[in-house]
Amino acid sequence: MKIKTKDWKRKIIGGLCLTSIAFVFQACYGTPQDFGNDLLVEGLVKSKKTGLPIKGIKVSVADKVQYTNTNENGEFSFYIEKLQNTKIRFTDTDSTQNYLFSNKDTLVTIKEPLQTSKGAKVYLNIELENK
Amino acid sequence: MIRLLKQTLFREFRKFETKQHELNYLFWECTTRCNLNCRHCGSDCSKDSMHKDMPLDDFLKALDTIESPAENFTVVLTGGEPLLRKDIETCGREIRKRGMRWSMVSNGYLYNETNHNSLLNAGLGALTISIDGLESSHNWLRNNDKSFERVDIAIGLAASSSRLNFDVVTCVNKHNFQELEDLRKYLIMKGVKAWRLFTIIPIGRAKEDEEMFLTENQFKGLMDFISESRLKNDIDVKFSCEGYVGRYESKVRDSNFFCRAGINIGSILIDGSISACPNIDRTFVQGNIYTDNFFSVWQTKFNIFRDRSWTKTGKCAECKEYKNCQGNGFHYWHGEKKNVLVCHNEQLKKATNQ
Ligand code: SF4
Ligand code: SF4
Repeated sequence: MKIKTKDWKRKIIGGLCLTSIAFVFQACYGTPQDFGNDLLVEGLVKSKKTGLPIKGIKVSVADKVQYTNTNENGEFSFYIEKLQNTKIRFTDTDSTQNYLFSNKDTLVTIKEPLQTSKGAKVYLNIELENK
Repeated sequence: MIRLLKQTLFREFRKFETKQHELNYLFWECTTRCNLNCRHCGSDCSKDSMHKDMPLDDFLKALDTIESPAENFTVVLTGGEPLLRKDIETCGREIRKRGMRWSMVSNGYLYNETNHNSLLNAGLGALTISIDGLESSHNWLRNNDKSFERVDIAIGLAASSSRLNFDVVTCVNKHNFQELEDLRKYLIMKGVKAWRLFTIIPIGRAKEDEEMFLTENQFKGLMDFISESRLKNDIDVKFSCEGYVGRYESKVRDSNFFCRAGINIGSILIDGSISACPNIDRTFVQGNIYTDNFFSVWQTKFNIFRDRSWTKTGKCAECKEYKNCQGNGFHYWHGEKKNVLVCHNEQLKKATNQ
């Protein structure tokens, strides 16, 4: 699906109204508009030693509360705030099952994401070493 | 002079927007189940659970009819209480996957650390939580002793996220009118950046409850409170889109009054009905997703929303400010539609003896 850019005519006429926020609106019982400052982070976590996917690894945004976990196939997918540099942390919170993998921090920089018509995204292939 | 020029330009802009009628904002009434039993309910929506939640696939089929969605097109999940849906994150993710944005309106009762995290993971971009006063007023209006305690947690979590475009809404009534300043301070203390105030529609259960409605002087007091708060710059306070407020227009909002229902705002209601804002009288329904193509209804119907000349009736017929107001918010037209239910401008004039 193609997302069209806002009609330039609309912007000019809106701008003439001497208000830059003519397009920002919300209904009484609605929410503010979302201007989509986000990034889809997806990836796969594997063991460096065996090459097998690891489930139950906590994937978190460093210094923030947001996190997700890898699934049965070692995959994860979540939307995070798009910032210049974001550190994604991989933590083994399930060590008895996962044989004590080392934690790993990966820095995602804003230059890396792939800009698609559906938003910015990045794919991370992560290998965790055994402790 | 500048005010008149601005008004003229804005009317041209409104005309242009109406002609374009780009769909920017789509409400999805994804459930009518609710976990609270608020006093002002029945006025805003029918909180029955007679209807089953709409299956996600039915909604997505309708959503997929939209050709070239607008930049920043947002689906607003509303209810009932959307958090009662077990698949709320899946709903959000499916919308976001299509390159569209999504947001949610909640009473905050069920909003906790776990679903704050999972909703952000699913791409939630904006959130509105309603609070109707400090502890006793809020609990009174919500008919629930724990509701303030719960909404306090929800507001704290939402305000802590820099990703969310978050605001708080308050339905102003006789009960909480005197505590608006304290509520403002409380919200600032919680780190809230934006606060929207609205009043109640005199229909349904609320119509019989005098406590729900502000007097004319109180309504003017509300406009003064908003104007003064906006000058302080410590929280973005505004009056909701609900109605035209004459001389207060530039003082209580960022932009002139413009009811965009059916112009940029559409909705898919619980039974598949296609309309504009969910608080609009259901006799204005334009079609149904189970029998019609949603986007073709949006493109070809909605004439009654886009040509408001029929509202020049009752007290609006002779109104000198009709050009700016066009019959107030669409949700103030009910029943026979012979007269607007509320004229905010008239209330203000009465309060100032004009
Ligand atoms: S009389 Fe009607 S058109 Fe005039 S200000 Fe009131 S609601 Fe608006
Ligand atoms: S119908 Fe009411 S809530 Fe909807 S845009 Fe118009 S004024 Fe706002």
